[in-house]
Amino acid sequence: MTASDNPAGQPEFVPKVADHQLLRRIGAGSGGQVWLARTTLGTYRAVKIIYRRSFALHKPFEDELHGLVKFEPLSRQHDGLVDVLQVGGDPTGDFFYCVMELADDVATGPHINPDRYQPRTLACDLSTRRRRPVGECIRVGVPIASALGFLHRQGLIHRDVKPANIIFINGFPKLVDAGLVTEMFKPSSHVGTEGYIPPEGQGTVRSDIYALGKVLYEISTGKDRFDYPELPADLRPTIEDQDLIRFNKIILRACRTNPRLRFRDAEELTSALLAFEFGKHAPSREQKIKTLDHWLRIAGITVALSVISYMVWHIVWLLRHSG
Amino acid sequence: MSYKMSFPAEDFIPTRYSLLSRLKNWDDQDSWKDFFDTYWRLIYAIALKSGLTDTEAQEVVQETIISVAKNIQKFRHDPSLGSFKGWLRNLTRWRILDQIRKRTDLQLGAGNLAGKTDPPPDLASIPSTSEEESVWENEWRVNLMAVALENIRKQVKEEYYQMFDLYVLKQWPVAKVAHTLGTNAARVYLAKFRVSALIKKEIHRLENQGNHLS
Repeated sequence: MTASDNPAGQPEFVPKVADHQLLRRIGAGSGGQVWLARTTLGTYRAVKIIYRRSFALHKPFEDELHGLVKFEPLSRQHDGLVDVLQVGGDPTGDFFYCVMELADDVATGPHINPDRYQPRTLACDLSTRRRRPVGECIRVGVPIASALGFLHRQGLIHRDVKPANIIFINGFPKLVDAGLVTEMFKPSSHVGTEGYIPPEGQGTVRSDIYALGKVLYEISTGKDRFDYPELPADLRPTIEDQDLIRFNKIILRACRTNPRLRFRDAEELTSALLAFEFGKHAPSREQKIKTLDHWLRIAGITVALSVISYMVWHIVWLLRHSG
Repeated sequence: MSYKMSFPAEDFIPTRYSLLSRLKNWDDQDSWKDFFDTYWRLIYAIALKSGLTDTEAQEVVQETIISVAKNIQKFRHDPSLGSFKGWLRNLTRWRILDQIRKRTDLQLGAGNLAGKTDPPPDLASIPSTSEEESVWENEWRVNLMAVALENIRKQVKEEYYQMFDLYVLKQWPVAKVAHTLGTNAARVYLAKFRVSALIKKEIHRLENQGNHLS
């Protein structure tokens, strides 16, 4: 390990990762640290370090490594998952690491200044507690729901869907923290995050759906997940807020207390979100009625004018031919 | 500002985990978790109003609940200890005084080391018994209502809770609630009736919760 200065000015030991220079610690993930790193070619990456000392027993440490090794090739097969590019270990067994795509900077997007870099996550976006338009919520929800569906088809459960685990890469949302991804029906010591865990507990397809539903609730209402199902107090009769009320139905279904009443799988949720988005741009029933009413009026006026014209012409003809 | 917004649940999750690990030898962890979830805000609010810091107030929460756990059997068998509400108030007060004494001892100790002779902190800032009772009564009512609402919210159909929230808690006109949610006034009134009945029942259950701990 080498020494490096951290922002507090105290020397900090920096783990050694092949072909990567670890520049600065940028966060703490489940059971480990996250570093900003640079490859020998100058590309920026995120490197997650999982220390053996973070685990009381060796088995959970091994399980996490095993999960990551299984997850690594899968992560590159779906756009909604952060690519895991490399998994490796320290020769002494003190830690293992995984190299991932780097999130956009919260202020400058894909342009990275290593001295000031802060990763953009959905949690950062939520920190203002401002409601997002429904369209934006769907642009987050669809890729993440689709990514969950992909994981579930591989027999894996994410277990910790939450805003802090959704990052943006080139403005596109992706699901991260495979640290908690486990096989379906396999017991896990990981507990997830309170407020995103359904009443029946974790470890199922529908528990991941519930968690995503809570995320969608937070970004669409600007409220905290513990406030669910309250709606914003400042709702107005605008088109945007009417969209929110209709979008609310999708959230309610994703977060039903009874798991049997939720979307049965992530594909069904994805379809509902897409149908909502496309349905928004199709004329609504009210708009169709208004349009029909408009044309009926025009048709009625045209017929009336035609009848009047005929009557006038007929009267003139009668007058001409009566004498 | 509501109780919930003043004391976000998320900030107290570590305290609850820590407390439950200390109570791990007690039976029925679920009941103690429920008990914590019911009363922690009340105890914390009283501790803050007594002039304690956030850390000290969290300590009071933990120590009070430990005291309840250690003495619950004695409370059940001794009618002279009065109602559960009064008993909990006393336990909370004693734990608050413990924190103040601890702070006083530290300050006196530091004063002696520094060679200063500052007077002890003014303990008159602790409310008198009648004032304290009034504060306790008010916080008790507010807390029970907040907890009952939180519990019922997880039980009723979400659409009903939304109608109840907008009509009763946010005091929207019924027509506005109905129009916004795409329903009718009759359903809004029905939601209010059902949820209010459940809340009353839940408050009654919470008031008797202390009698069912083991």
